[in-house]
Amino acid sequence: MEALLNTGSTIDEGRLAKGGNKYSEDYKTECAVCWVCAEDFAALGCPEKVKVTSRDGVHSVAVSTKVTESVKSGHVFIPRSIWANVVVEPSTFSTGSPLYKGSPVSVEPTDDVVMDAEEIVLKLYMGEE
Amino acid sequence: MVYKNIICPVCGGSCDDVQVELKDGTIDVQNACKMGNAKFQEVVSSHRLLKPTIRENGKVKDVSWDEALEMSADILANSKRPLFFLGSETSCEAQEVGLHIAEYLGGVADSNATICHGPTVMGIQEAGCVGSTAGQAKNRADMIIYWGVNALESMPRHMSKYGVFPRGYWAKKGRFDRTMVTVDPRKTPTAVASDLHLQLKPNTDYELLSALFTILNGKEPHPSVEEITGIPIPVMKQTIEMMKESNYVGIFVGLGVSSSYGKHRNIEIALNLVKEMNNYTKCNLGALRGHCNVAGFNQLASYLYGYPFGIDFGKGYPRYNPGETTCVDVLREKDVDAAFVMSADLVNHIPADAAKYLADIPMICLDIAPCPSTTASDVVLPGVIDAMECDGTFYRLDNVPVHFEPFTDSPFPETKSNEDTLKQLFAKVKAKKEA
Repeated sequence: MEALLNTGSTIDEGRLAKGGNKYSEDYKTECAVCWVCAEDFAALGCPEKVKVTSRDGVHSVAVSTKVTESVKSGHVFIPRSIWANVVVEPSTFSTGSPLYKGSPVSVEPTDDVVMDAEEIVLKLYMGEE
Repeated sequence: MVYKNIICPVCGGSCDDVQVELKDGTIDVQNACKMGNAKFQEVVSSHRLLKPTIRENGKVKDVSWDEALEMSADILANSKRPLFFLGSETSCEAQEVGLHIAEYLGGVADSNATICHGPTVMGIQEAGCVGSTAGQAKNRADMIIYWGVNALESMPRHMSKYGVFPRGYWAKKGRFDRTMVTVDPRKTPTAVASDLHLQLKPNTDYELLSALFTILNGKEPHPSVEEITGIPIPVMKQTIEMMKESNYVGIFVGLGVSSSYGKHRNIEIALNLVKEMNNYTKCNLGALRGHCNVAGFNQLASYLYGYPFGIDFGKGYPRYNPGETTCVDVLREKDVDAAFVMSADLVNHIPADAAKYLADIPMICLDIAPCPSTTASDVVLPGVIDAMECDGTFYRLDNVPVHFEPFTDSPFPETKSNEDTLKQLFAKVKAKKEA
């Protein structure tokens, strides 16, 4: 499914990040989540997890799903975090600021493991296996 | 002992009414929001970074402050073009020293604004800004518009302290004297609390603002704008009428405006709409800034070097060209060869291509808790918590400078503040370069 990715604050994302708990299970539970509407959730086959892939197809990340009325069909939301930023459009349109709101992504069901924040740094960014 | 009127060092609200009581190994916090309370708990938390570390042959080990500063100075002095990311949850005083090191080494200096309200600042440079202090909106505004911002979750006390609920001099009944409108593609808690929610389609802020501007000028917008934005034209007209009939309209924008398609042009047209609206009523626009001193970096860099963020000293004089001299761009294009990251978890908050390169190059991180940036760093310097353990200056969301006083001391005998740590680092860098 092609979608526009919106990222942003949630109060518990803020509480955990400001409290220095980015490596906690609670942070992963709060932030490694893709919010979709019921219509898109059904179209995807009601998956527990989805793989979100960046527009260029280079980067992808597995996250849990959450059904919500807060987004419309074709739009998804991931709380501001390392999971969301793996797939955020890196082009800044000559402003310095990436496309944190409205990045084109693709979303598909997956059985991949949802990595924690430290694993993403070590495996995706530092190349350790 | 109870300490009153402590400044909160978290979001741009920089709340000045926090009350804390330090007991044996615990801290009791009053008046702070969930985010603020969590940060105050860092003073006594078990995960606080208390020892400098370095990465050697892939292994992380504790070292003395002097060894950590020596290695940091080596990395910076040997770099051809270092990046200084001077984060916004520390003081202007610390940022100033960081800017001077960047200038001395011919590096690039940037701060959270670049990945936050940088496009808002660029929009202000294009159009000018009808601004005000937060108190103006509190006392005068009878219409509040949150555009592209979920204030209840990103600046939790804004609505109760400045925006919607407080009783103001000309809004004596608080919420009952105010109309609240939210413009957001998501039905956020802020939108639910509003009188009117314009749930526009993502990336159509420019089109909606343009249509509102057209209506304000007495013209009919093109009918296609309904399909593009998802907002019926009669609702747009109603919104403009509500604004014109108000005594004072306070518009607060977030990253939904500055970080979606259109970027600074969204802000530019919003500011032009605000200017035009002042022909009918008092109207101003302000940004809800994400960090307690993100505005401070813009102020400081502007008066020291003439530019608000993304400053490149590579040619021996300051240059500013967003998209070329800004943090994400220099990392994505591999235009720097070392990085110093202070009080900001940069690895967590930038896109993968930039984060991966940042993890590849030698990096020094100054922070208070374990996070993706400390994991990817070669040197970690423990941070002192501003407004709790040292004094200094923040600039609030409305660019009002706020001096903060500590209620306890730095836990480190080697440093009193992040400013002190940077001064020690600068002395070592100078000694190496001039040896």
